[in-house]
Amino acid sequence: MRPAEEYRESLRDGRQVWLEGRRIPDVTSDPLLRKSVEWVASTYARYEGLANPMFAIPTTQDELREQVAFLLSADRTAATTAGCMALTTVGGDAIKSYARRVAEADLRVAAAVDDTAKPVQVRGHKDGVVVNGGKQHVIGAAVVHDLLVLAGDVAVAVPVSSPGVRVLAHTPAPRPEDDRSFPYSRSRTISEAIVVFDEVVVSGDRVFQDATEYADTLQVWERARAVADQADRAELIMGLAQTISEMNGIETVSHVRDKLSAIAVYAKMCRAGWESALANATFDRGMVRPDDSFLYATKAYGGHLYSEMTHYLHDVAGGAVITAPTIADLDNPEIGDALRKYMRTMEGVSGEHRVRIFHLIRDLFADTYGGWDKVTSQVVGGGMHHQRMATLDSFDLEPVKAKARAAAGIDA
Amino acid sequence: MPMMTGEQYRQSLLDGRKCYIDGELIKDPFEHPLLKAAATSVANTYDRFYDPSPDAFHPMYTIPRSREEMDARVKAMGQSDITAGTTAACMALVEVAPELGKLKPEYRERVYEFFEWCKTNDVRCSEAITDAKGHRKKRPAQQDDPDAYVRVVSRERDGIVLRGAKLHITGAPLVHEQVVLPTKSMKPGEEDYAVACSVPTNAEGLKIVNTTNAPRGDDLRHFPISMRTNMPEGLLIFEDVFVPNERVFLDGEVSHAASLAHALGLWERSNAVAYSGSSADRLVGLAALLAEMNGAADRTDIRDLLSEMAIFATMCRAGWEAAMANAVTNEDGTLSPASLYISASKFYNAELHGKMVDILHDIAGTLLVEAPTMADYDSDEIGADIKEHLAGDSGWSAQDRLKLLHYVRDLTADTYGGWIAVTESLAGGGQYAQRLVTLRHFDLNAAKELARKAVGLEAG
Repeated sequence: MRPAEEYRESLRDGRQVWLEGRRIPDVTSDPLLRKSVEWVASTYARYEGLANPMFAIPTTQDELREQVAFLLSADRTAATTAGCMALTTVGGDAIKSYARRVAEADLRVAAAVDDTAKPVQVRGHKDGVVVNGGKQHVIGAAVVHDLLVLAGDVAVAVPVSSPGVRVLAHTPAPRPEDDRSFPYSRSRTISEAIVVFDEVVVSGDRVFQDATEYADTLQVWERARAVADQADRAELIMGLAQTISEMNGIETVSHVRDKLSAIAVYAKMCRAGWESALANATFDRGMVRPDDSFLYATKAYGGHLYSEMTHYLHDVAGGAVITAPTIADLDNPEIGDALRKYMRTMEGVSGEHRVRIFHLIRDLFADTYGGWDKVTSQVVGGGMHHQRMATLDSFDLEPVKAKARAAAGIDA
Repeated sequence: MPMMTGEQYRQSLLDGRKCYIDGELIKDPFEHPLLKAAATSVANTYDRFYDPSPDAFHPMYTIPRSREEMDARVKAMGQSDITAGTTAACMALVEVAPELGKLKPEYRERVYEFFEWCKTNDVRCSEAITDAKGHRKKRPAQQDDPDAYVRVVSRERDGIVLRGAKLHITGAPLVHEQVVLPTKSMKPGEEDYAVACSVPTNAEGLKIVNTTNAPRGDDLRHFPISMRTNMPEGLLIFEDVFVPNERVFLDGEVSHAASLAHALGLWERSNAVAYSGSSADRLVGLAALLAEMNGAADRTDIRDLLSEMAIFATMCRAGWEAAMANAVTNEDGTLSPASLYISASKFYNAELHGKMVDILHDIAGTLLVEAPTMADYDSDEIGADIKEHLAGDSGWSAQDRLKLLHYVRDLTADTYGGWIAVTESLAGGGQYAQRLVTLRHFDLNAAKELARKAVGLEAG
């Protein structure tokens, strides 16, 4: 596996990226996009010289569990790259050959699935195909090597640096030069993009036919990761709510315990949903996949109650979620000691530690990154209505109807 | 003294105050990138209501005595910045002046004089109420740090000396006076904490550390709300600040510690409820526009969601109407909205706000938080791409689509949106406090009597 520095260097390939109206000549040095680059680079650094799990296909339940644990610990492009690998289980020789090249060169791939108002169209060309149109919500487009573009029954792996590819990036990365008061998003944001394809010529070995069913498999790890992450996030909400309640000295107050118990139920149910998806995983065409009906149901459940849980978290934490001083304030000798004194609450609770907890709550649940994370998680797959419908569609209705008939004493 | 113009207000802030943001001392808020918009919004209020006649004053100093006066006040406050709201709330102190006068006649006189001074000098005040609080379950005097609640550390012939901190003080670095009130009721033995007074922002020993919901960047057009209406929140540090007697409204009388904050709290909650109907209407309108923009306005599931929002908006409006229909007139003629309906409405609004925002987000889709900026749209290189790829259904242009998406993101899914979500439920007392107040004002006996009759039990 290639070193992180080599990855950074590989992004200086003439790609055409814009952010907030500015052309970004080098994504590795732009203060905002650099945060995405460094997150991806951190995964490279972790596996330098080792086999990267994102290129493996899980064939047992244990391997599936390990795969998802890895995806949760890695940057977001790991899930889309792993999704590309998963296509080898449903695709032909061409995608298998492509996936092998991706793994050998240790590349990162983004999934370009959602069309813009001008859907992607692919037409034949003497060297392969020509791609035109646009894709939106392309996670990591500015910092990966290839875009796996789905267009009807054709899929095309388009190098980001191809002439005619324009990446209109967006990022929820924190804006302040001193980003220490953004403990999560300073190192774990990924940029997304609308990608425009303008007469992009792609060689034939990057074109995959019969790709009608690719979307489902390409996004299998993003889907699984989202539900596993939801369980992790729910437990983090629980941990933060309990910690800040203890720091505030209110963890035994009855209405606080009511809220903590509601979050506890939520966290357990999110975990139960994910565990059920794992326990009911199925082996299909050489790969173990989590059970979709549990994934859809858990996603719908988690999204439905998410705002209520963050509301409880804000409530037990208090206004300092949005008014806690910054780390730079604490560093200022004129005010730092006084701030530590007044942010402290009791023996064993330092003012600075409490400030850091507030920063994390704000960053994740009441600021730019929190808004981005909440919206993208909630509306993935078409929003809450579609998640419910997907749950209904994947629900095995016949057995439950039979159960109802039996209970009512109606003959089958 | 005549009213101040915006420029005079600007000059009035250059008074040596010690205010900080991001670890740095603020020299002039009008020159600071994170405070400029907020300071300008206050200055604009000054200019909007400026009247050169010597007896003129801002409507915030009119204590409403009828529904018409209340409506006029709500309208005027709606055209003003947030510091006008905090100042107006502080003026509610005059309501408790007669009570304070029973403790000491000079308290009453000082409150009236302070009110007149503020009105005459056209100043802005903050509500400095929430203490650092230390361990929340312990009383002020039981804390291991006696300064966890603001307290009087010494009393001198001509005034008192304050120490402690006040948190979440909206607009603190942009006002002239910090009106310090006890955060809750006090008990015997806590006399030093039963202190109410007003402290000039540039007082010796007062330092204010600020955070802000202002957006950061050079081109802020994709923050259509917060680029103009943001406001800093200050953490006030009182390092042995001297307060002259004429600005001390309570010192040591624990019996009245809570009454001042309660008077302000009602106004603060009332203010929130007064605008909740129009805020909720705006949410419904945004959702309807998003649905049209995405060509989904006729979908059954979308209409279900819109109806849910419409009920929410109607109930928010009903809460304010009921509060005013049941308003009470105090001894001095001041009209106060009914606490029962104010607390119930505030709770209802805050409790369901997140659910309404969920609906907006669901209708909007991921583009809500990933839309290109207006700078992207204006770019010679990629502007044409955006026009082409973001053209929406129902004839929506890419530009209008971006405007709508940015507005909703700014309001509900970014820094300012986070601030709204937190303050909506916590300002004026948290959700639990609203429940308690509602229950306290609810006529349980009448309700029980109804139940008895319905069940056929004898009257209790």
